[in-house]
Amino acid sequence: MKPMLSTELNTPEAVVDKAKIEVKNLNFYYGQSKALKDISLSLPERSVTAFIGPSGCGKSTLLRVFNRIYELYPKQSAEGQVLLDGHNILDRSQDLNLLRTKIGMVFQKPTPFPMSIYENIAFGVRLYEKISKSEMDGRVEQALKRAALWTEVKDKLNASGLSLSGGQQQRLCIARTVAVKPEVILLDEPASALDPLSTAKIEELIDELQADYTIVIVTHNMQQAARVSRQTAFMYLGELVEFDRTEKIFTSPREKRTQDYITGRFG
Amino acid sequence: MSAVQEALPAIKGSRDATVRRFALTDTIFHAATRAAAILVLVLLGGVAISLFAGSWQALSTFGFSFLTTESWNPVTEKFGALAPIYGTIITSAVAILIAVPLGIGIAIFLTELCPRPLRRPIGMAVELLAGIPSIIYGIWGLFVLAPFLQTTVQPYIIWLFHGVPGLNNLFAGPPYGIGLLTSAMILAIMILPFITSITKDVFDTVPSVLKESAYGIGCTTWEVTRRVVIPYTRIGIMGGVMLALGRALGETMAVTFVIGNAHRISTSLFAPATTISATIANEFTEAVGDLYTSSLVALGLILFVITFLILAIARYMLMRIDARTGA
Repeated sequence: MKPMLSTELNTPEAVVDKAKIEVKNLNFYYGQSKALKDISLSLPERSVTAFIGPSGCGKSTLLRVFNRIYELYPKQSAEGQVLLDGHNILDRSQDLNLLRTKIGMVFQKPTPFPMSIYENIAFGVRLYEKISKSEMDGRVEQALKRAALWTEVKDKLNASGLSLSGGQQQRLCIARTVAVKPEVILLDEPASALDPLSTAKIEELIDELQADYTIVIVTHNMQQAARVSRQTAFMYLGELVEFDRTEKIFTSPREKRTQDYITGRFG
Repeated sequence: MSAVQEALPAIKGSRDATVRRFALTDTIFHAATRAAAILVLVLLGGVAISLFAGSWQALSTFGFSFLTTESWNPVTEKFGALAPIYGTIITSAVAILIAVPLGIGIAIFLTELCPRPLRRPIGMAVELLAGIPSIIYGIWGLFVLAPFLQTTVQPYIIWLFHGVPGLNNLFAGPPYGIGLLTSAMILAIMILPFITSITKDVFDTVPSVLKESAYGIGCTTWEVTRRVVIPYTRIGIMGGVMLALGRALGETMAVTFVIGNAHRISTSLFAPATTISATIANEFTEAVGDLYTSSLVALGLILFVITFLILAIARYMLMRIDARTGA
């Protein structure tokens, strides 16, 4: 079997849509150690892409390059190109705060801010938009409805975000991300700390959100990747092993390593 | 009977002896540590009781008016604690006003913004401030800071706020150099390390993923600090401030040098005044007569009560943040 890792071949054939994010020859370093090795792939607009692979394979690292959140820490650096709508976001001149309003991120553990439910959402909106109280009320309601949380919290918008259950907190974080009106939403194992019922709600939500957003999800749970995503990337030891339509990856993978991983022979 | 079975009773006997020996040492150990712990309570109780007993004469002579009388006259033996209480509270409060923004600023810089190679040197310099003996702050305050304030800063401020209602009373009078404000500044320097290191520690309890998600929606460092880090650690910061306040209230030596030791209450921060601890330190050797001594002890009792309350509040606040981060 020939390794096929050029950019062209890594674009799933079935995907004809415009690419939202294009990664070209990306290398990533934690100090001296190389965590991503020459990654190239292209993520289509308004669809869900899943990154799977064993722990330490670099899938979260790749996600963290997309909004350059890694730059909070010294000694982490990226080389190569990541194009968002054709603009290289790794460029020095890229404004980080502006980038992060375009590319929202939801983390593994729910991270409500230490403020009320209403404020958790209004806070992010207020950073970049000056809108009236009634408009803000509308935005908050819309975001909470979007995240399927509205009916549960509409009577206690002034309660602390920390008073919600884990699953509700995670949906609050998604609502908060959506409210800023990003173009891309990055989800870093968003359901791994949640019970099956909350997980199902989050997955339903992802399915609805892909109509408007480009979504990238990192997950350990292969069934989840199979359920929610349209294309899947399998990564191993910092390399992109295979990237294709999700059905293809899970039914007839090209690479033996992909096959071994999805059938549970390692990882 | 095999050899093993014959040996059994002997083993059993020696084991029992070992167990008994262990039980005995355990009991002694238990009793010794408990005694050490109880000793603290006894000491605390002893100090409280002797303060009460010592101040009884003054308190029964002057009654409640001891707290509300300004005059402190050893000749007529009329003593009131209001001036030292006022001085103590004002110097500490102003010190807190100066030190809190500085300390929080340093902590933010060290945890969020400081380039790594600078972090340790600055952190250590702040900690070293806590290691300077208070007598050194005292002589530095008297010989360096006070003359500087007297010749440059105070005349300028008096001129600047002359005619501004409110502020002209706060910054009035001849520039003595020594006084309330100078003491507060010295105190602020002394408590700065406490506020900085406690604030830095509670800032470190903020989960990095919480900060990441704030940066993740486009916050600047200022917005993350102002809206996420500080609200998240509010209680811990308050606890640190209270601990620092407790320290400032009781500080004696440095304040005694620069406060001016005047038993009077003035609205001006430039005026000489006195604090509880400075009064006691200055006057104990010359206190003739039981009532004079007793009044000084009563001052000590008041300081004890104030400090105890402040520290209790601080402990309670720090306990609450511990309970939350531990959960």
